[in-house]
Amino acid sequence: MRGFVVLLLLSLATPEAGGQAPPKPPPAINGCVDCHTALEDPRITPPAKLFADDVHAKAGFTCVFCHGGDGRQEDQEKAHDPAKGFIGKPKPREIPELCGKCHSDAALMKQYDPSQRIDQLAEYRTSGHGKALARGDTTVAECANCHGAHGIQPVKDSRSPVSPTKIAQTCNHCHGNAALMAAHQLPSDPYEKWSRSVHYRARVEKADLSAPTCNSCHGNHGAVPPEVGSVANVCGTCHVTFADQFKLSPHWEPFKEMGLPGCVACHENHEIVKPTEAFLADGAESKCSSCHEADSKGARAAAEMHSDLVGLDREIRRATQLADRAAEAGMEVSKVRFDLVAATNALTKARADVHLFRPSAVHAAVAEGLKVARGAATGGEARLKERDFRRRGLFISLGLILLSIAALVVRIRERERSTREPAE
Amino acid sequence: MSEAKRSSSSAPDPAPRAPGESRLHAWARDRLGWDDLAHLAAKKRVPVHRYTIFYYLGGMALFLFLVQVATGILLLLYYRPSAAEAFESVQYMMADVPFGWLIRSIHSWGANLFVGVVFAHLISVFFLKAYLAPREMTWVTGVLLLFLALGFGFSGYLLPWNTLAFFATKVGTDVPAQIPVIGHLLSRIMRGGSDVSGATLSRFYGIHVAILPAISTLILGAHLLLVQRHGMSVPRSVEGKTRRSISFVPDFLMRDMVGWLAAVGLLAALAAFFPWELGVKADPFAPAPAGIRPEWYFLWMFQGLKYLPAKIFGIPGETLGVLFFGALGAGLLAVPWLDPRGKRGIVVAALVVLAAAAILTVLALLPVPGEAKP
Repeated sequence: MRGFVVLLLLSLATPEAGGQAPPKPPPAINGCVDCHTALEDPRITPPAKLFADDVHAKAGFTCVFCHGGDGRQEDQEKAHDPAKGFIGKPKPREIPELCGKCHSDAALMKQYDPSQRIDQLAEYRTSGHGKALARGDTTVAECANCHGAHGIQPVKDSRSPVSPTKIAQTCNHCHGNAALMAAHQLPSDPYEKWSRSVHYRARVEKADLSAPTCNSCHGNHGAVPPEVGSVANVCGTCHVTFADQFKLSPHWEPFKEMGLPGCVACHENHEIVKPTEAFLADGAESKCSSCHEADSKGARAAAEMHSDLVGLDREIRRATQLADRAAEAGMEVSKVRFDLVAATNALTKARADVHLFRPSAVHAAVAEGLKVARGAATGGEARLKERDFRRRGLFISLGLILLSIAALVVRIRERERSTREPAE
Repeated sequence: MSEAKRSSSSAPDPAPRAPGESRLHAWARDRLGWDDLAHLAAKKRVPVHRYTIFYYLGGMALFLFLVQVATGILLLLYYRPSAAEAFESVQYMMADVPFGWLIRSIHSWGANLFVGVVFAHLISVFFLKAYLAPREMTWVTGVLLLFLALGFGFSGYLLPWNTLAFFATKVGTDVPAQIPVIGHLLSRIMRGGSDVSGATLSRFYGIHVAILPAISTLILGAHLLLVQRHGMSVPRSVEGKTRRSISFVPDFLMRDMVGWLAAVGLLAALAAFFPWELGVKADPFAPAPAGIRPEWYFLWMFQGLKYLPAKIFGIPGETLGVLFFGALGAGLLAVPWLDPRGKRGIVVAALVVLAAAAILTVLALLPVPGEAKP
């Protein structure tokens, strides 16, 4: 009965192409799945089952588009006929080309997803993975390692291992494997370090998908570590102002000459923590002192910027405390809070201006912020004085009220004594 | 001829000044009938017995009403009744107008104190059975004044146009929509549209500063006239047990003033230590924050409606709830006719309603697990 149904279905199917030529509009029948599912072989059945939910299956593609052979044949030998292009399980080295057969075909891809890029294969060939694979290293990632082989989902689908929320874990499958990475002379802790970074906190804890994950900096199909000279460009894709300022700074040329990796020299690559004023000061967190000797021109410039930034930060904290105390007393402090926002913005700008590495630029931004912060602090102090004035006024008023009440009570007693009617 | 004509058409000559009488007194006596008023005041007496203290609640309610009128008029000088400016104008009053904070805080705290005292007055009058004949209409005007006080509270709550008030008004104006047939129309009329908006603010402002004060003045006048007409009611339990009384002016008035001065002190202390919070400006497009609640005097109804099932005998639970509250209000107005002889039954019913309202209010004030503080 089962065979009859398969034959009936196959008789309705259009002839299929082999494994090599670019596919025509896909047929609706996939006889391979019926046999591979029915056989219940742990090696071949799960892929067949997974394929039912594959993005390609939903678009009408069948097994033979990748594996070759003839899906209409009930007989295994005929179905797996090498003359019909049957290749069985593709070898890792074959996979990029196999996927690229369709994914690099602009005419074909337009029929399914006109916005889909078609340069993945070309990109892959330029990647660390692609180059190593071309050298015969099959331990590197090819398409199926990241996207899956039979249950492939669109990247936007959260079930896909390369969806925006899962891609870091997917990269970490290999890049967190100490033995594998040791063989490639690569560190195995990038995920661990990234998970301590501001980027991780923004992306994972605050669900901000605009924060970078692995492929944001390394690329995806063309994944490579950014070259020393291109680090500033890579970081600058998001941190535009910092990158522009850095290129205008006195550090730009010497960094290039010395082969220092731009932003990474101070901020690290994966474990990018929240920068603080301490980067500019002497001490364990100092970044400047690793290059600039104490009392050198550079160290003095760093100290000057540090002093300016710390001063503004201190003034903002003082004004905030005053505003909080006044607000706790029920005072109206919205104007003070508004000024505090402006002062905090000035501090942010001053911190950004550090990337110009010119104390005068930082000083100008700090001076602007200090003016506003001092105004806010004065506003907070005025509100607290107003609170004290209100309380003094209240005590005086309450005193007067009590005196009036006492006078009334005395007068009431007097009248009671003089006008009391005899009780019945 | 001309002499006779002049004498017949003119008013009687002013009485000559008594020895020691001031010119001002003589002027007021002849033109304002001052002596008649003074005589009337001197004649009015207040009975003294163990429940006399409850007589002060009426005077206290009147005093707080006048405080609301005075502070309300001062707030009008700076308040701007539009969705764009209302919040900012109140913020300006609280921060920049000299003593604006004091006036607004006294108005807000005073409103709550006023409603509380009106409730206390009503409850004392009820349990002392002062609604019995011939004081039925005094009771009716008093209950109407309570409803007006609640109307003042409801309409005034929205005027600062802050988030809590905005969403509480949204909930509050949804309640009349439950009334069968006319409910939705009533809700639309209250809101000035399908939702709470600047149009709602405009009409609440008009209701708060013009319509309610005009109606209140008329009913308050009638209430005071009736109190004057029938005198103070003496509870049956002490009737005939005392013949002692004090003069209204100055003895009772002086005692009243002690209470009024204490109320002023309390309001000033509340304003100085706990200035009425303004909160965050209303954003009609923002989601409703957690912990939306009406003023404390509506809490029992708000909570009661929450507990009703969706349907009762096929009728929406909230509709039945609103109809029940309406019936309760009508019943309150009709108390003198429901209990014309001052029997005990109505007291038991009232105690049940009061206990239920108190429990519902406490339940509404208890923190809900998992709900953020407003």
